[in-house]
Amino acid sequence: MGGILSLNSRAGRLLCAALVAFGTVASSAPVRGQQTAIEIVDRVDRLLRGESSRSRVTMDIVTEHWSRTLELRIRSLGTEYALIRILAPRKDAGAATLKAGDEIWNYLPRVDRTIKLPTSLMGTSWMGSHFTNDDLVKEHSLIEDYDVSIAFEGIRNGVEIWEFTLTPKPEAAVIWDQINYEVRKGDLMPVRARFFDERGDPVRSVEWSEYSSASGRLVPMKMVIVPADEPGESTTIVYDELEFDLDFLPEDFSLRALRTPNP
Amino acid sequence: MNRPAAPWLRLGWRNLGRNSRRTVLTAGGLALGYCSVVVMTGLGRGMVAEMIGNGTGVLSGQLQVHSRDYLPERSVHETIGGRDGADVEGLVEAVAADPAVIAAAPRVYGGGLVSGGDQTVAAGLIGIDPKREANVSLIMRTGEAGRHPSGEANELWIGQEMARQLSVEPGDELVVVAPAADGSLGNDLFTVVGVFRSGLAEIDGTIAFLPYQSLQRLIALSSDRVHEIAARIEDAWEAPAAQSRLVASLSVSFGGAKVEDWTAFQPEMVQYARLFESFEWVLLVIVFVLAVFGVANTMLMATFERRREFAVLRALGATPGVVLKSVLWESVVLGAASLALGAAVTLPLLVWWHEAPPDVSWLYGDFTMAGGLVRPVLRVEYPFGMMVFAAFALFVTAIGAALLPAVRAGRVRPADALQD
Repeated sequence: MGGILSLNSRAGRLLCAALVAFGTVASSAPVRGQQTAIEIVDRVDRLLRGESSRSRVTMDIVTEHWSRTLELRIRSLGTEYALIRILAPRKDAGAATLKAGDEIWNYLPRVDRTIKLPTSLMGTSWMGSHFTNDDLVKEHSLIEDYDVSIAFEGIRNGVEIWEFTLTPKPEAAVIWDQINYEVRKGDLMPVRARFFDERGDPVRSVEWSEYSSASGRLVPMKMVIVPADEPGESTTIVYDELEFDLDFLPEDFSLRALRTPNP
Repeated sequence: MNRPAAPWLRLGWRNLGRNSRRTVLTAGGLALGYCSVVVMTGLGRGMVAEMIGNGTGVLSGQLQVHSRDYLPERSVHETIGGRDGADVEGLVEAVAADPAVIAAAPRVYGGGLVSGGDQTVAAGLIGIDPKREANVSLIMRTGEAGRHPSGEANELWIGQEMARQLSVEPGDELVVVAPAADGSLGNDLFTVVGVFRSGLAEIDGTIAFLPYQSLQRLIALSSDRVHEIAARIEDAWEAPAAQSRLVASLSVSFGGAKVEDWTAFQPEMVQYARLFESFEWVLLVIVFVLAVFGVANTMLMATFERRREFAVLRALGATPGVVLKSVLWESVVLGAASLALGAAVTLPLLVWWHEAPPDVSWLYGDFTMAGGLVRPVLRVEYPFGMMVFAAFALFVTAIGAALLPAVRAGRVRPADALQD
């Protein structure tokens, strides 16, 4: 809720991606020819969503007017629940965001209150970053909403990749008119995604890197989101710790948990 | 050779008296036309004045000073004087020093959430200097309950609709959350001290006022950083001149500041005023074009009836020009009589409605136009220019309508006419 009035509401679905956690394992088996584009995109998409996870994250936000670094502790259960607590800087420490279903609640330790984010503000920035609150609550998977086609197959920047073009299905209620999604062929790791609005203008891009193993799964540990219309601005997320397959319960994502600083 | 017009006037007057009923009806029609044009124009201008007065007076003020880059995005970072801020006190006084400016006040803007109990609403936060603001904004007079915020305390003055949505009344506590200029999330407890009702739904439901110092604390702005100086100017149409003067006087000591009057930041109101002005001319033309036909008909009748008389005049040696002139003078006298009658009806009505605008709230409640609240009264402004124009139009109508009948009267052939 940071940028309640942070003007740019860049909604998008890939926040779940990085913020909430990584889940399903990407298969390390070699990709076979008969694998369809849809299957690949779905596999990468599920990699970037999750079942249950716990992580410590450093979020670097650079804007035209200020830069700051947030230390976050995040835990998630499926795509339904997530709890994000700010550990640093001191000014915001203890503040937390709870996602439960399609609701977002914030806890403000200074005034010791929880506040539910009004639906009308879902599109606004989370904590001043280039992620929106909407990014937190999106649960639909990519292949539910988009048709997938292969736009490019070959070597780019020395890496063998596929580039997929995702276009919305006629009935899908989505905000992107096109997503260009680059995936490494060798291990099906996401490389880059670019998001376009209905005029065909780029809105933002996301780049993944620093692939590493966590709880036996290969995942990108770094994610950079760059808005197209704000030169020089970006939000970078780096996983300092990440583990999967924890036995969380829905009760661990209650308003009481939101108010409790240190579970 | 200069002959006095007096005999012609007397002649015209006598001719009019020969069918007094017809004359009274025609003059009455012209007078009514004059009256309707002038009164409608006065009402239109009253409505526009009401709209501009309220539209600019409720909150925006007639003149504003900002950082050059503040509008239209209203970034919280674009304070007057940039990051270094400005001498707020000196700036307010410099603006207030302009002869047209009645009062000036500093403002800080923010946006965020206001939350009480289970309810949370998005709100525009306006930081004000309550004492100074009271002399600038009419909205400060719309308090319904409680009092204004005071000093620099964490006190909120919110709209009635927002109070209803949050189920709060004066004395209750609310949490205000707003993204701060340093990227952090400002949040603090505030006490509701008063509730206002401006009648403008978008203000009553979404705006919360608080002392500007408390908003500066909340959104991490230092005390010399404000977004706006707003000023009140009694006659809104004097604002552009004041704007020019302030541009010159502020350029020396407050170089980065941009001065704008309401015609710049509320151009839609200027458009409305222009639209109404063009309606005035349309009305003028319609009314008097209709009158031309009425008067022409009357004069044709009057001259046709007097064909034999004109024939006798001609037979006695009068030139066609003399006959024509006598008819035209008759029309001039008719115009003068109509104008006298019209003015006698119109002026008292204008003065009466100007002094005591009739309340028509039984007809319709408050309504808004171009963002300005319009009271349900028939406010009338004196349309001085239009009074003169309409008088001129009345004479043109009377004379223009008489031209054809006059020419025909002058062309009467004595022998033919006398044979009939």
